[in-house]
Amino acid sequence: MTAAPIDIAGAEGPSLKAHCGGIDFRNPVMTASGTFGYGKEFDGLFPLSSLGGLVTKGISPQPRFGNPAPRICETASGMLNSIGLENVGVEGFATVKLPFLRTCGTKVLVNFFGTTFDEYVDCGERLGKLEGVDGLEMNVSCPNIKAGGIEFGREPKVLGDLVRACRKVIAKPLWVKLTPNTSDIVALARACAENGADAVSVINTITGMAIDAITRRPRLATIFGGLSGPAIKPIALRMVYQIHRARLGIPICGIGGIQSGLDAVEFFLAGASTVQVGTQNFIDPASAERIVREVEEFCRQNAISDLRELVGTLKTKP
Amino acid sequence: MAQNGSKGVKESPKRKMRYFEARIIENRALGNGYFVLRMGGCDSLAQSRPGQFIMLRGDWGRDPLLPRPVSLLSVAPDGRADLLAKAIGRGTRLLEMASPGTRVAVLGPLGNAFPEPTPGSLDLLVAGGVGLPPLFMQAELASRRGMVDRCEIIYGGRTSRDLVLLGEMRGMGLSTCLATEDGSVGRRGRVTAELEARIDHHLAANRHQKLRVFACGPREMLWAVARIAEPHAIECFLSMEEQMACGIGVCLGCAIPARSRPFRYACSDGPVFLASDLVIPPTAGHPAEGTP
Repeated sequence: MTAAPIDIAGAEGPSLKAHCGGIDFRNPVMTASGTFGYGKEFDGLFPLSSLGGLVTKGISPQPRFGNPAPRICETASGMLNSIGLENVGVEGFATVKLPFLRTCGTKVLVNFFGTTFDEYVDCGERLGKLEGVDGLEMNVSCPNIKAGGIEFGREPKVLGDLVRACRKVIAKPLWVKLTPNTSDIVALARACAENGADAVSVINTITGMAIDAITRRPRLATIFGGLSGPAIKPIALRMVYQIHRARLGIPICGIGGIQSGLDAVEFFLAGASTVQVGTQNFIDPASAERIVREVEEFCRQNAISDLRELVGTLKTKP
Repeated sequence: MAQNGSKGVKESPKRKMRYFEARIIENRALGNGYFVLRMGGCDSLAQSRPGQFIMLRGDWGRDPLLPRPVSLLSVAPDGRADLLAKAIGRGTRLLEMASPGTRVAVLGPLGNAFPEPTPGSLDLLVAGGVGLPPLFMQAELASRRGMVDRCEIIYGGRTSRDLVLLGEMRGMGLSTCLATEDGSVGRRGRVTAELEARIDHHLAANRHQKLRVFACGPREMLWAVARIAEPHAIECFLSMEEQMACGIGVCLGCAIPARSRPFRYACSDGPVFLASDLVIPPTAGHPAEGTP
C-alpha cells in the first residue's frame, strides 16, 4: 500500500476566490464586454456558472444600430472592430436580456455608455437599479460629441467629472474601463480612484487601422477601429503594472489578449485581481471555462493555496 | 443611430449548435485551388440543412487568429461532413494543405437554411464559383426526397475550371445549366444571363408555374439575381457572406443593411435572406453586364 499523494494546496484545492471592486467572485475569470453578447449566446457551450463573472455588451439609454460593414477585420495575432456600440438599449436589456442573466449563476456586470455627459448619468442610474445586476462597468471610449469627438476617457479631468457624476447616482459597484489611447494611463486611473470608482478595467481596444493594398481601401468602413487579441497583451500588461505600481488603492481587472491560464496569471502578477477574456471567446468559444481550469492547475502545480497570494507579486529586483 | 424603445428586441433562440473536435479524413483537390474536405466525427451536423454553415479552425497558433465560416456541402448520418472551399486567403490555404488525420475545431450547425423543396415549386439554384455548397446540398436534399425534378442548378464561373462537382450533380439526376465568362463550357457570359434565359424558358412553358430562386455567390452576382427575379415577382432567397468572428451573433461584425431593420446579421439572422428584405444598391450588378 502506498501513501496517498499529498496535495499541497489542500484537499479542497486552491482557493480561486477573488474580491475586486466591491464584488466577491467565485474565481477571477470573467468575459469581456462585446465578446460575450448578453450571455445567452454561449448557453449550452459551457456552464456560465463556471465563470467568475461576465460583462454584457455596452448598453446605452436608447438602442443603437451600429456602423456599416465591413465592421471587423483580422490582423496579425489580432482583430480590428468598429461595431459602433450597437446594443438593445436599457429598456430592451431590462425586459429581454436580463431575465436570463438573473438565472445564469454568475456575477453580472453591465457595461454602459452615453454620447453625452447626461446620458452616461441617466444610463448608469437606470441600470444600477435593476435587480440581477451586480455591478456596472463604464465604457469611456466613446466620442464626446460636444468636445469635438474626443473620447470621454482620454482627459483625466473630464473622466474624473464623469465618474463623480455617475458615482452619485449609482449605489452598486462602479468600474471604469480605461482606454489605452493615452500617454498617461496612471493619470486616468487616478482620476477614477479619486472620484469614487470601485475598480478599473484595463484595457479597452487600441485604435488602429488596416489597409487593402490591392483595392487601396481601408479594411473597415469607418477607417479606424479597435485592435484586440493577443497582439495587444504586452501593452495591457504594461498598463496594468503601471497602475498597480502607482499604488492608487484601486483594484484592477486585467484585459487584453488573454488566451490561457498562464496569460491570466501574468496579469495577476502585474497587479490585476481579476481578468476578462475577450477576443479569445471568438477564437475558441469555450475558452473562458478552460482558462479557469488552467488557473487552478497553475496554482496546484505551484503550491499556491490562495490565488490572492499571486496578485502584484511580480519580481522586478535582480 | 438611435431608435426609441425596446420594440423589435428579441431574446436569442435556443440553438442546436455544438462545439466539438472533428478529424479530416480526406482532402480531395479539384484543381484551380478548389478542394473538398471530408471530416469525420461530425455526428452533431447530421441534421444540418442546406444553407447552414460552421465555424472552423485548425491548430493554427495565433495567426490566422479567427475561425473561418464555411458552408456545408454535404452531411451524412455516419458523422461525415463535406466542405467545398477555394484556397484564396490564409485560412483557406492552410485548409487546402491539411492532411487526413488533422484535427479541427468545429462550431455548428449555425444559421438558417433555404426553404425545403416542395412539389409545388420549381427551384432555380443559382451558384457562382465557390458559392456552390448550399445549393449542392439543396439539390442533394431534393434528390433524397425524390424531388430532384423540382430544381435545377444554374452554375457559373470564370472558366470551366471554376465549375466543380459536375459529375456528382449529374449523378443525382440534377439538371445543370452552365455559364462561363470565357465560354469554355456552357453559355458564354455571366450566370445571370443564363438565369434570365431559364426564367423565360420556364414561364413560356407554363406561365402559372411557381418559380423560386435560391442563390449563393459573389455579392454583385447576388444583387443581379435579385434584380432579375424581382420584376417577375419570383421569391428570391440569397445566401449572404460577410466578415464574421464568432458565427453566433456576438461580435456583430457581419452586418448587412436590411429593410425590416437597419441591419441584419449574416450569422444569426441568415445567412439566407429574402432578397426583398435586403437593401440592394441601385447601381450594382446590372444583369446584362459582361454578356454578349
